[in-house]
Amino acid sequence: MSKDLVIETNELTKSYGPHVALDRLSIQVEHGATGLLGPNGAGKSTFFKTILGLIQATSGEGKVLGHDIRTEGLDIRSKIGYMPEYDALDDNMDAIHQVRYSGELLGMNPVVAMSRAHTAMEYVGLGELRYRPISSFSTGMKQATKLACSIIHDPQLIIADEPSNGLDAESRQAMLTTLSNMVNSGNRSVLMASHLMDDVEQVCQNIVLLHKGKLAAQGRIEDLKAIDREIEIHVWGKSDELEQALGKEGLEVRREGRMFRIRHDGDHTTHRILKCAAETGAQIRRMHEYEASLEDLFIVIMERFGYGVKSSDDLLASPVEARKVDAPESMGGSGA
Amino acid sequence: MTDEATIDASTPVTGQSRMDVAWGSESSDVATVAKPVAQTGQVFEQIYVPWQGELNPRWMRNWAIFRHHVLGIVRKGHRPWGVPTKLVLIFVLIASMTDVALTLLFAIVGEPGLYEAWGVGRNNLYGHILGFFPRNMLYYPLVAALLVGGVISEDRSNGTSALYFSRPINRFDYVGMKYLAVATIQAFIIIGTLFLYYFVDILAMGRGWAWMLDTMPLFLTAVFCAILLVVTYTSIGLALSSVSRGKFFPGIALLAVLLGTKTLAAIVEGLFDRSILYLISPYDSVAHVGQALLGTNVIYSHPWIWSLASVIAINAISLYVLSVRVSSMEVTRE
Repeated sequence: MSKDLVIETNELTKSYGPHVALDRLSIQVEHGATGLLGPNGAGKSTFFKTILGLIQATSGEGKVLGHDIRTEGLDIRSKIGYMPEYDALDDNMDAIHQVRYSGELLGMNPVVAMSRAHTAMEYVGLGELRYRPISSFSTGMKQATKLACSIIHDPQLIIADEPSNGLDAESRQAMLTTLSNMVNSGNRSVLMASHLMDDVEQVCQNIVLLHKGKLAAQGRIEDLKAIDREIEIHVWGKSDELEQALGKEGLEVRREGRMFRIRHDGDHTTHRILKCAAETGAQIRRMHEYEASLEDLFIVIMERFGYGVKSSDDLLASPVEARKVDAPESMGGSGA
Repeated sequence: MTDEATIDASTPVTGQSRMDVAWGSESSDVATVAKPVAQTGQVFEQIYVPWQGELNPRWMRNWAIFRHHVLGIVRKGHRPWGVPTKLVLIFVLIASMTDVALTLLFAIVGEPGLYEAWGVGRNNLYGHILGFFPRNMLYYPLVAALLVGGVISEDRSNGTSALYFSRPINRFDYVGMKYLAVATIQAFIIIGTLFLYYFVDILAMGRGWAWMLDTMPLFLTAVFCAILLVVTYTSIGLALSSVSRGKFFPGIALLAVLLGTKTLAAIVEGLFDRSILYLISPYDSVAHVGQALLGTNVIYSHPWIWSLASVIAINAISLYVLSVRVSSMEVTRE
């Protein structure tokens, strides 16, 4: 395992009878913040359970922080902090004691656990509320308490399952800021599963996309966004002629009135657009690169590329080839 | 903290300079303008504090689970047992010491007849552990029902199972420590008061080594029977707790199993004069074994070894259900 990888799996497969929950996943999660995306049933929870060493993989192998997921589950769970999606707190306990107990369950002695519980509660912004019973907490406070439970032992990797689930705008921002600080100031790694693309985009530099147990894509968000890169222009006069010219030039154009979006097709795309405009006499009043959101990217990968897209490198190397190789026949690919 | 800019006659007149002069001009033609660069106030500063400590090994984690449950009875900050549970435990603890109090009273009064009725003996040791009324009809099953009620089922419903299984705790340790904690609280009441009963007799009556050697086998047999009773009630109770999501069902179901089977067997015995159905009653099976081992009057007509087999079978089935249910508990969602 290379130095910067916190999670690495190779052909990891988990089957429940005939149902394949994880299908030959080869994932590499680097140090830093990584988002785990995928629709319901994509295999995110199974992936978490497998890398935590709670269930045995059917085949394949994997390592978390250098520990084998098949044989060293206890070591892995000592070094990571897991923040579950659902309620995992005893409503009748005070927050500070709940966090202290979570530290004791890791093997901390009670005095040290209490000291660290205070530190963790301060860090998540609940310093003044730590002696209140959890039953009196809002959803945001409960989420923060769960985060405090997961970071009490200063783990190298925090696995957060839907950390902003059910939070209002303010609490959500606080949670995302805290996770970002963990990565940027604390130099820790975060693997964050979320359905909210904006959240992932705010915290993470990398993403892993799962779909029906298969790896749809993985890599840096910036790199993956290049898959759906377009140039937006606003045209004044001779729009129809320009559209035809761009088509003849081999550029893929989407048009809405005077606004055109042209698929980025190499470094000379801008030059080719200007050439067409000069030839047709159309005025280009505005030209800028249109940056796809992560949500756009997710939809593109899930719906257009279909299954079997291995990584951003595969996609970026030759998008057309990738589509031909990986996309189902109904989407213009070979169905491979 | 300020960053100062000097403006004089040679300074080109720009919008910024005009504005600065307007706000900072003095009588001379050289004006000093203070430009505040301090950040706006921050109420909460988030600073990550790393921890370099070492985590203790498995026994410390297990001790934490055990301690959390047992200390919760008497101290805040651990498992929050309900007030009714605590009150019942105190009541049963006091009620279980009636024989201790009466032994002490009659030893002090010096009335041999009354002392014989309450002092340490074969029948009274049996009665302290396995007497049906009131101990095994009212006290001990109720204590067991209140204790096992939410011990596992609440982890399922609250999602706190994730708190355990995302830590380096395996399922055997999780269920083992919970089992031990519940059994310890029961044992504190049943066996603790038995010890008190025995040693109060020694102290109050000034017993010597000969008496102790004479009665020690009986006392240890009574302790063994008490352990059998605690283990059986705990196994059934935790198995019921593991199949439920609330704490009401396991408690009521345990009472129903313990008292219902006895009632059914008693009806059948009354009608057909056959005691064989007592084998399905956990209490009666343990009581039968206790009667045989302690040498008191045996009230069942079937062999006691069958009752021993029944106790083993009941525990085995309960532990099987418990292990299957705990192994299926989820860390991500239920």
